[in-house]
Parts: sequence; C-alpha cells; structure tokens
Amino acid sequence: MNRRQFLQAGAGLALASALPGRAAQASAQVVIIGGGVGGATAAKYLKLANPALKVTIIETNRTYIRPYGSSEVLTGHARMEDLTVSYDALHHRYGVDFLFDTVTGFDPDKKQVRTAGRQSLAYDKLIVSPGIRLDYAAIPGYSQAIADTRIPSGWIPGPQTALLARQLQAMKPGGTFVIVAPPTPYRCPPGPYERAALVTEWMRRHNPTGKVLILDPKDNFVTDATMQLGWHRLYGYDIPADFMQDMPAGVQNTGRPAPIAWVRAKDGGTTRGIDARSLTVHTEGGPVQADVLNVIPPMRAGKLAFDLGLTNETGWCPVERRTFESSVHADVYVIGDASIADAMPKSGFSANTQAKVTAQAIVDTLAGRAPAEPVWGNTCYALAGSDYGLFVADVFRLKGGKITQVSGKRYLPLDASPTQIRLGAVYQQAWLKTFTEDCFA
Amino acid sequence: MGALMKPMIGAVLIAVAVAWLTPAQAAGQPSGSAMAHTCAGCHGTQGRLGTVEFVPLAGLPEREFLKAMGDFRSGKRAATLMGHVARGFSDDELKAMARYFATMK
Ligand SMILES: Cc1cc2nc3c(=O)[nH]c(=O)nc-3n(C[C@H](O)[C@H](O)[C@H](O)COP(=O)(O)OP(=O)(O)OC[C@H]3O[C@@H](n4cnc5c(N)ncnc54)[C@H](O)[C@@H]3O)c2cc1C
Repeated sequence: MNRRQFLQAGAGLALASALPGRAAQASAQVVIIGGGVGGATAAKYLKLANPALKVTIIETNRTYIRPYGSSEVLTGHARMEDLTVSYDALHHRYGVDFLFDTVTGFDPDKKQVRTAGRQSLAYDKLIVSPGIRLDYAAIPGYSQAIADTRIPSGWIPGPQTALLARQLQAMKPGGTFVIVAPPTPYRCPPGPYERAALVTEWMRRHNPTGKVLILDPKDNFVTDATMQLGWHRLYGYDIPADFMQDMPAGVQNTGRPAPIAWVRAKDGGTTRGIDARSLTVHTEGGPVQADVLNVIPPMRAGKLAFDLGLTNETGWCPVERRTFESSVHADVYVIGDASIADAMPKSGFSANTQAKVTAQAIVDTLAGRAPAEPVWGNTCYALAGSDYGLFVADVFRLKGGKITQVSGKRYLPLDASPTQIRLGAVYQQAWLKTFTEDCFA
Repeated sequence: MGALMKPMIGAVLIAVAVAWLTPAQAAGQPSGSAMAHTCAGCHGTQGRLGTVEFVPLAGLPEREFLKAMGDFRSGKRAATLMGHVARGFSDDELKAMARYFATMK
C-alpha cells in the first residue's frame, strides 16, 4: 500500500465509524496515537481479542527505533539499524491500519483527532501512547539544540544516540565520560547505570585509562545494590558504606581508584547547570570537567499529551487505574511512559502489559461487559557487563485504587550464583528479540 | 491482508472461545489469559515462541506448568527471576494460567 492508499483507507474508516448506534458498535473504530511499545502492543492485542475491530495507528515515523537496548549502540554491540523495527507484521498479519502523520489536536466531544497532514479521524475509543518529552530546558545551560549537536541525551533513540557513540569512540585517551542521571520519575530506571557499566566495559579494551562518572540528583536507584556489586566485581568499584552491610561475605573494598564512580545527591552529585562550551557540569559539589558529556534531563509525558490536555500538574497523565482511561477525557486511554501508574516503572515491559489490560478493557466495554480484574507485570533485565545480567521483576495488582507491587522481592539476590548471573545476560539479549516480537509481530 | 491472516484469526477465535468456557474465576482474580499475557514479553504471544532461550508455554500440560511454577515459588528450583514472578500468583491463579497455556497449541 502506498502513502496515498493508506491515507484513503484512513479517511474511509473515519467515515464508517462516524455512523451512530449499533452499526458502529459491530465494527467500532479504535484509533491509537503512537506506534511505540504501548501503541503497537495495544493494536495487536485488540486485533487478537476481536479481529472485527477497526484499529488504526497514527505514528509520525515509518519505522520505530526501539529505546530498549539502545545503549548497546554506544559500545558497537548493536548498530542503529538493529534498533529499527518494521510495522509490516502489524499491518499484514493482524490487519492494523497505519497513518504516518503527527497528531496535533483533537475534539473530545466530536471524538475526532486532527493531524499535521490535515487528516481528521473519528474514533469510538482513543488510545494515546506518546512516550516521553525530554525537558532539556530544566537544566540551565542545556537545550535541545545543544543536545542535538554537542551534548547528546540519547534517551529517545535516534541521531543523538549515534552522535554519542561517535563522541565516545573519539574521546581522548584517559578522558572522562560523564553521565548526568535524571530525577525520578523517568523512563527506564536502571538505564543510566547500565549505560555507565557498558561504557566502562568498553573503555577497558579501547581506552584503558578512561573513566566513567555518574552525577546523580538521587541517593539510590532501581537495582542499585546488585548493579554496584557487579561494578565491584568487574571494575574494582568500591561500594559505599551504606550498601556494604547487605553484601555477601568476601566483598571487600580496596580503596584504589576505579574506572567508574557514582556521585550521589548526598555527595554533591546534583547538577545545577552546565557550560556547553567547556563541557563543565556545575554540581552542588563543585565543577566537573567532562571529555564526553551525556545529559539525561528530567522528563515529562510526550508533547502530544500536553497538546491534548491529558496531563496534570505533575507533567504526566492521570488515569483511572483499572483501565487507564484518562481522568480528564472519557473514551481516551493513556498508556506507557506518559501515564501515572503508581508503583509501575516507566519501562517497555510496563507499557506492554498496560496495553494488554487496556485492550481487553476496551473490548469488554464495547461489548457491554464490565472491565475484568487487571494484572500487570514488569521484568527489566540490565547488564553490569556483557556477561553479567541482573534484573528487576514485578507483578502488579489493583489494591485500594492504586497499582501495587504484590510479588515481594524485586532484584537479583546478592548471593546469586555465577550461573544465574551469566544466564541473566543471556536472557537480556534473548528478551530484546522476544519482547519486540510480542509488541510488533 | 495476507493469507497468513486467516488461520491466525481461526486459532484466535478458538482460543477466545476456550478461555470463556473455563470454570468461573474467583472474585477479584484476573482471567487465565490476562495473567498469561504478562508472560508473553519473554515466553511469546499466547506462549508461542521461536527462540530457544525461554520455554515456550503453549501446549504445556497443566501438570508441568504447575510443578514448575510451584517449585519456582518455593525456591526448590533455582531461577533467575521466575521465583520472584511466581510469588505474584496464588494456587488458583496458577491453575487458571496452566489451563490457558494447555489449550494453546
Ligand atoms: C537506554 C534505554 C534502555 C531501555 N531499556 C529497557 C529495558 O531493558 N526494558 C524495558 O522494559 N524498557 C526499557 N526502556 C524503556 C522503554 O523503551 C520505554 O519505556 C517504552 O518505549 C515506552 O513505550 P511508550 O509506548 O510509552 O513510548 P515509545 O515507545 O517512546 O513510543 C511513543 C511513540 O509515539 C510516537 N508519537 C509521539 N507523539 C506523536 C504524535 N503527536 N503523533 C504521532 N505519533 C506520535 C513516537 O514517534 C513514538 O513512536 C529503555 C529505554 C532507554 C532509553
């Protein structure tokens, strides 16, 4: 199908679903904005549950660049092409329609969305999964223009990811790669620390006197104890005293300098601003000079969520927890990173299971049934090195109106065996494939 | 829409019908398919999987699923993260999941 046919198909669907009453019910039109993890999974599972539904994804880009696994581009373990995911399977195998365009606004009363390409699509149910917006301006001295050219963030993968990879490869021997970690809540809680680990491992071979420094506005992070134990074993990192008491017997700090360091808020790690020209980070503990600087700024819901008026004062989208229907507009559902989901982290796995619960809730609601009891999950593997896997794993339920973690312990045990650790890394790589399949194929 | 689509839809409709025929679930308990969907990120959509690292769950006899999950939950069987995941589900819930996967071919 070429672009024009695509657009015509879209317009045709819009007309059909504008019919009122039962006719519309039988072939209800679900429009999904954003063909990322959340949107793609929702489309697929809607079609699996009820193939008669008309499901259209409106997405800016012709192919998806997956954020998960994107730090592997920095170390050459993956290429940018490896991050690219096609929409062909969703279209051909599942009958999902696509409109490649950018949504600019909507009319919640007439139930129509508008696009930059001047299309107007009617919906019975609207799912919004726009991901995040990086708030570059929240850090004095930083901006999108600087991020695109000199100090990449690479937290929405694309040209900034490729730029950061080139900068790392060109860094002078013995240079310092500085990562400014974001405040919570943010996309992929273990992500900045996994990135630091992978860059440290890369340096050992390619720039053996180089260093990685994480500047953090927080005092802890998801997977913190297990990740630091990995750094200790692999890179000789000294574990801070307050994490030491839980460590297995035999773990001992050496007092020697290590190629990776984590400066927490309580040690002055919070960034006050940056000087882009000299690559200096002004922290509460004083100025820090970088040779390559990777700033992961504070985040909010994707711009679209603001354009549609779906956010609240937190910058994220409040939802009715059972179905993720927006608290602001009826028949609009916000899933993925953009939503407020209590204990659920902003991860791909979360977005994927939210999409499934919401898809089923929409199918049930359209059929006149009450939405079923929800259950969500999150399993994120993370690497401390290519062969050193750790994870966070959760099951979530609705308890007293809040999404609550019910499975207890979340991390790899600190006394895990070498086999468990090695397997974690094998599973991390396998997951990149199986997960992409569950969402997109 | 390709020819691939038709057999898929057929399989799905049967799957949906079977899911509806399972015994009534306890109040406040998610359906077998809803719980099973949380496994799909690693174990494949509806438990169907082409990769070798994870166990495909489609068609797994109920007994085998329950034994594995029970042993993960009690810690009898070593795991990376399956122990953690198994502790998120009750006996009845594991049974509902087992029934769902057993009916998937
Ligand atoms: C380095 C890194 C590592 C990660 N590792 C993991 C991991 O190991 N495990 C894990 O579970 N998660 C991981 N994640 C997180 C995961 O990628 C995200 O949580 C997930 O992509 C969120 O899905 P989403 O649907 O909310 O947003 P996205 O996947 O970002 O999708 C949003 C889509 O909406 C489109 N869009 C936005 N606005 C519009 C508009 N106005 N009109 C049309 N289209 C629009 C965008 O083009 C995009 O395709 C990682 C992230 C990073 C950055």
